[in-house]
Amino acid sequence: MESMASAAIFYGVAALVLGSALYVVVGKNLVHSAFALVAAFFGVAVFYVYLGADFLAGAQVLIYVGGILTLLLFGVMLTNQIYNLNLRSGAIQVVPGALSAGLVFALLVWIIQSVDWGAMDAGDPGPTSESIGRLLVGDYLLPFEIASVLLLIALMGAAMLVRRRGSGSS
Amino acid sequence: MSDAVQSLSRFLPELILMGALAVVIVADLLTQRRPLKNNTDLLNGITLVGLFGALVTSWQALGAVEAQSLFASMLADDGLLGVFRPIFCLTSIVVLLLSMRSKELEGVRLGEMLALLLTVTAALMWMAGSVNLVMIYLSLETVSVASYIMVGYLSSDRLSNEASLKYILFGAVSTGAMLFGLSLLYGMTGTLDLYGVRAALAEGAFGPGLLFVLILIAAGIGFKIAAAPFHFWCPDVYTGAPTPVTAFLSVGPKAAGFAILIRFFYLGLAEPAGGGAIVPVGGADWQMLLMMLAVITMTLGNVAALLQTNVKRLLAYSSIAHAGTMLMAACVLSVDGVQAIAAYLAIYLFMNLGAFAVVILAHRVTGSFEIDSYAGFWKRSPLLTVAMGIFLFSLMGIPPFAGFLAKWYVFAAVINAGLGWLAVIGVLNAAVAAFYYVKILRVMVIDQETGPTPALAFSRLDLGLLVLLVVPNVLGLLFWGSLDRVTEYSQTLLDLG
Repeated sequence: MESMASAAIFYGVAALVLGSALYVVVGKNLVHSAFALVAAFFGVAVFYVYLGADFLAGAQVLIYVGGILTLLLFGVMLTNQIYNLNLRSGAIQVVPGALSAGLVFALLVWIIQSVDWGAMDAGDPGPTSESIGRLLVGDYLLPFEIASVLLLIALMGAAMLVRRRGSGSS
Repeated sequence: MSDAVQSLSRFLPELILMGALAVVIVADLLTQRRPLKNNTDLLNGITLVGLFGALVTSWQALGAVEAQSLFASMLADDGLLGVFRPIFCLTSIVVLLLSMRSKELEGVRLGEMLALLLTVTAALMWMAGSVNLVMIYLSLETVSVASYIMVGYLSSDRLSNEASLKYILFGAVSTGAMLFGLSLLYGMTGTLDLYGVRAALAEGAFGPGLLFVLILIAAGIGFKIAAAPFHFWCPDVYTGAPTPVTAFLSVGPKAAGFAILIRFFYLGLAEPAGGGAIVPVGGADWQMLLMMLAVITMTLGNVAALLQTNVKRLLAYSSIAHAGTMLMAACVLSVDGVQAIAAYLAIYLFMNLGAFAVVILAHRVTGSFEIDSYAGFWKRSPLLTVAMGIFLFSLMGIPPFAGFLAKWYVFAAVINAGLGWLAVIGVLNAAVAAFYYVKILRVMVIDQETGPTPALAFSRLDLGLLVLLVVPNVLGLLFWGSLDRVTEYSQTLLDLG
């Protein structure tokens, strides 16, 4: 009975994620799309909980839902023109697009069915933050540092893009 | 933790680059209010010192042939990384010198550009050393993000902006495909370590499913080396980007892409079979995949280059064709192929950057990138015409020049591996390539310019730069023996694990 309820919640959340992600793509109103993105990100956080990844679920809510999306909504709402903008999200080349998407989908389904994924029962989920922390300053020290270099140059690039034209060369 | 500390001693070039990055950022902030020329000169100097330091240390590291894994098996410091490190440093040094002479970058603050150049040089080294799927993705993404910004550096130039946007869109899709492939591979093998991937694949046949995963990953790598059919960004980005950045993209990320290609396929998806040969594991015929990519890339690059009238677009398609030639060598399935690719890249660095140097110097006077604007160059500057002739003949692979040696290594490896038909397609392509390279020379030498033809004047820096690039192309054949040492280094590719 419990597993039935669990499966029902899972499929419910999956439908929510897919539906809102689809709305983000085809929606004509930027603010509505941004709110749909909130729902999609929140649903993904639920998936992390299902997988026993408590830290990731928390980080997903904090960073994506709490941080990035709030910022995005602020940006959208403070810019009057963006709010009134009618997004041109018309579809071109519907048939070839649908065909290739369908083909990739079929291939993926087939792979997921045919490959032995070596899945095992993870047992009772426990807290993961300690082991993630140890890995980040242990085995994965170098990727951790490189990620910080990546963020640094991304920050520089963003600052460069928003700098007013001409002010940099005076 | 002690492993990380020990690894630092074999990590010196990257550390120097990161140190120079920090100094450049701080120095840029401190000299913000000074005149532009002071600021630019200071930052150029710091960057040059950093790159030279990295070049010297990576040259010294080349002596230590003994392979070692660094940072808990994230990187492998072996012959392959050893050979690629100096290639990256040299590329960045030449690109820095080119950017000092580029008309497009005059009057522009270069602080961010130089910081990006240092970062991307280090990231290329991380790419070439990666033996872990996380490292492969992260280093590739660092190179990509830095490249996007460098391409769009001229924020008031519409073409530069358009190029950057196209690059980001194509980059995001291909990196996404690659990441999806990597995650499926992780699911299949249960490990992120390339040696672990090999061990897991050797145990069971995954067949067509694995092949689909490999196509996804090849999309990410193919994007970096500009292999068809993942090349669509290449001509537009090469045309729109500031020319020194174009020169950098045509050598640096391409070289690192090949390093990752070799590591991924030769280490992660194949087992050593003795005598430097390897056999694919996991039941996916990736040799066929690479051969198809090589043939499509070569042919498309060369045929499309025939139609170009803009020299940057022509060099873009020519760089696609060269990627196809190197892909042929990647199909060899032995250390010979690795050696051929490394030698090809070392020579390609000088001939391709040389061609771009001429383009940049010519742009200073003509203000144009159209091939027609080169008419009458033989009268205006015999020196520039001869230099361009040497670079183009080298790119063609004509015997007295180094480019011949590069082609020789590739074709010898391909024929020795019994892939005669592939070599035939390669030779036909080289013949087609001669047409469009000669077309540029014909315009320079034979066509007459209408209107006034002032003689071209060069600074000492221009002459030094041309000499630096011409000499390796002319004396290339003398290095025949020393390039054989590359073999010795590339042997150690299969040492670890």
